Amino acid sequence: MRQPIRQEPRGIGKALKRHYPSVLVVFVLFLVWQAAVWVFSIPEYVLPSPITSLGHLFVRQPDAFYNWKLQISTTVSEVLISFAVTAAAGILLAILIAWSQWLRNLIMPFFIFVNSLPLIAIAPIILLWFGYGLFTNILIAFLVSFFPVIINTTTGLGEVDDDLIDLVRYLKASKWQIFLKIRIPNSLPYIFSGLKIASTMCVVGAIVGEFVASDRGLGYIVINSQFTMDTPPIFAALIVVSLLGVALFGFVSLVERIAMPWRQSETLAV
Amino acid sequence: MKAVVLSVKGFIIRFFVRHYTKILSLAAFLLLWQLVITVFGIKQFIIPSPLATFSTLFVPEIAQRYNWLLHIRTTVSEVLISFAVTAASGIFVALLITWSKALRRIITPVLTLLNSLPKIAFAPLFLIWFGYGLVPNVIIAVLIAFFPVVINTATGLSAVEEDLLDLVRYLHASKPQIFLKIRIPNSLPYIFSGLKISTTLCVVGAIVGEFVASASGLGYLLKDAQAMIDSPPMFASLILISIFGLSLFAAISILERLAMPWQDRVKES
Repeated sequence: MRQPIRQEPRGIGKALKRHYPSVLVVFVLFLVWQAAVWVFSIPEYVLPSPITSLGHLFVRQPDAFYNWKLQISTTVSEVLISFAVTAAAGILLAILIAWSQWLRNLIMPFFIFVNSLPLIAIAPIILLWFGYGLFTNILIAFLVSFFPVIINTTTGLGEVDDDLIDLVRYLKASKWQIFLKIRIPNSLPYIFSGLKIASTMCVVGAIVGEFVASDRGLGYIVINSQFTMDTPPIFAALIVVSLLGVALFGFVSLVERIAMPWRQSETLAV
Repeated sequence: MKAVVLSVKGFIIRFFVRHYTKILSLAAFLLLWQLVITVFGIKQFIIPSPLATFSTLFVPEIAQRYNWLLHIRTTVSEVLISFAVTAASGIFVALLITWSKALRRIITPVLTLLNSLPKIAFAPLFLIWFGYGLVPNVIIAVLIAFFPVVINTATGLSAVEEDLLDLVRYLHASKPQIFLKIRIPNSLPYIFSGLKISTTLCVVGAIVGEFVASASGLGYLLKDAQAMIDSPPMFASLILISIFGLSLFAAISILERLAMPWQDRVKES
C-alpha cells in the first residue's frame, strides 16, 4: 500500500503556519503595550492602551468628526483605486515599452531617474493643481507607486534567456507568441514584487495626501487628532491603516501564489 | 600649481565630454519648459516658468522673502543625521541577526511586521511625543529608511558560498575572522544598494515630517507656499530637494566605488 504523502496544512491553517511568528509578535506587542500602560500608568495623551484605542472604533462617538465608516471607506477607496490604476497602467505601459528595444533604451533611464527622486514631495503641487478630494489623493498615491511597477515589469520582460528566444524564433514564433508564452510568464515574479512594493506605497501616498490637505480619510483623522492631542483615535486610525496595508500586501501575495503555482512547489522543495 | 589648474580644467572638460547628453537634455528641457509657458500663456500659479522659479532662488530681492538658507540647512541636517543613524543602526542590526541564530529568530518576525506597515503614517505620533523640530523628523526618516539597509545587509551577509565557508572552517577560521574576511566583504554590494535606496527614503521621511508639522525646512516651505498659492518657490524647493537627494545618492555611489575597487574591474572584464 502506498503511503499517503504527508499533507501540507491547507488554507487558513497553512497561512497561520507560515505567518505564526508575525501573528505571535503582534499578539505579544499588544499584550506588552496594554501591560505597560497599566503598570506605568502612562497618561492617555502620550500612549493610550490598545483597548482604549480599538474601543474608539467600536463605541459610537458623539463627535460627528469620528464617523469611522466614512473615514475608513474614503481611505480604502483611495488606496484600492490607486492600486488598480497603478497595476493596470504600470503593466500595460511596461509591455508597450518592452515591445520595442528602442523605446526601452530611451525611456527606462528616465523612469529609473524619476524613481530615485523623493516623489512624495510633489504632493502640495498636485493639491495646488487639483484641489482637495479623492482624485488628488489617488493621483498622489498613483505617482509614488507607479514607477516600481513599471520598472520591475519592464525589467522582467527583458530578462529572458536569449537562447530560448533564439529557439522559438527558429520555430517561427511570432512576436505576440513570444510575449504571451515566454516574456510575460517570465516577468511574473518581477511584476508581483513590483506590485507588493506598490501595495505599501499606495497606502503611503493616500495617507500623505490626506496629511497635506483633505477633509476626510484616516490620514485626516490622524492629523486633526494630533492638533487636539486626542491620541486614541490616532492609534485606532493607525491600526486600521496598518491592517489595510498588510491586507493589500497579503492579497497580492495570494494572487502571486495562485498565478505562479510552480513557484510554490519550488519553495516547498527547499 | 599649473598642473593643478590643468587637472581641474581637464576634469571639467572630461565631465562635460562624459555627460554632454545629460547636460544637453537638461538644457533642452528648461528651454522647452520656458517656451511652453510663454507660448501658451500658462498662469504662473499653475506652472511657473523656469525663469520665475530660479529667480526665487537667485534674485536677492525675491530670495530674501523665503529665507532659503534656514530651510535648506534644516532639511539637509535632518537628512544627513537620519542617513548616518540609518546606515549605522541598519548595518549593526543586520550583523546581529546574522551572527546569532537566537537573535535572528526573535528579531526577524518583528522586522517583517514593521517592514510591511505604512510607517510614514506614524509621523504625527512622533510629533506628539517629541514636539516640533529636528528630532521627530529624523526619527521618521530613520524609521522608513532603516529596513532596506537591514534586509539588504542581512541578505548579503548570508549570501556566501557554502563551500567557501566549509573550506575556511576546515582551516580553523574563527567566527570573527569569517565575518571580517568573508561575510562583510561579500555583503558590500548589498549594503551599498540598501544605502542607495535609503538615501531617497531619508529625504522622503524628512520632507513628510516637515509636511506634518514643523517651523522650517523645504517641506515646510512647500506646504506654506501652497497655502499662499505661491508656486515658484514650490518648484524651486522641489528642484533643491531633488538635487539634494541625487547628490546624496551620487556620494554613496562614489563611496561604493572607493570601497570596492574590484567591482569596476569585474564590470570591465
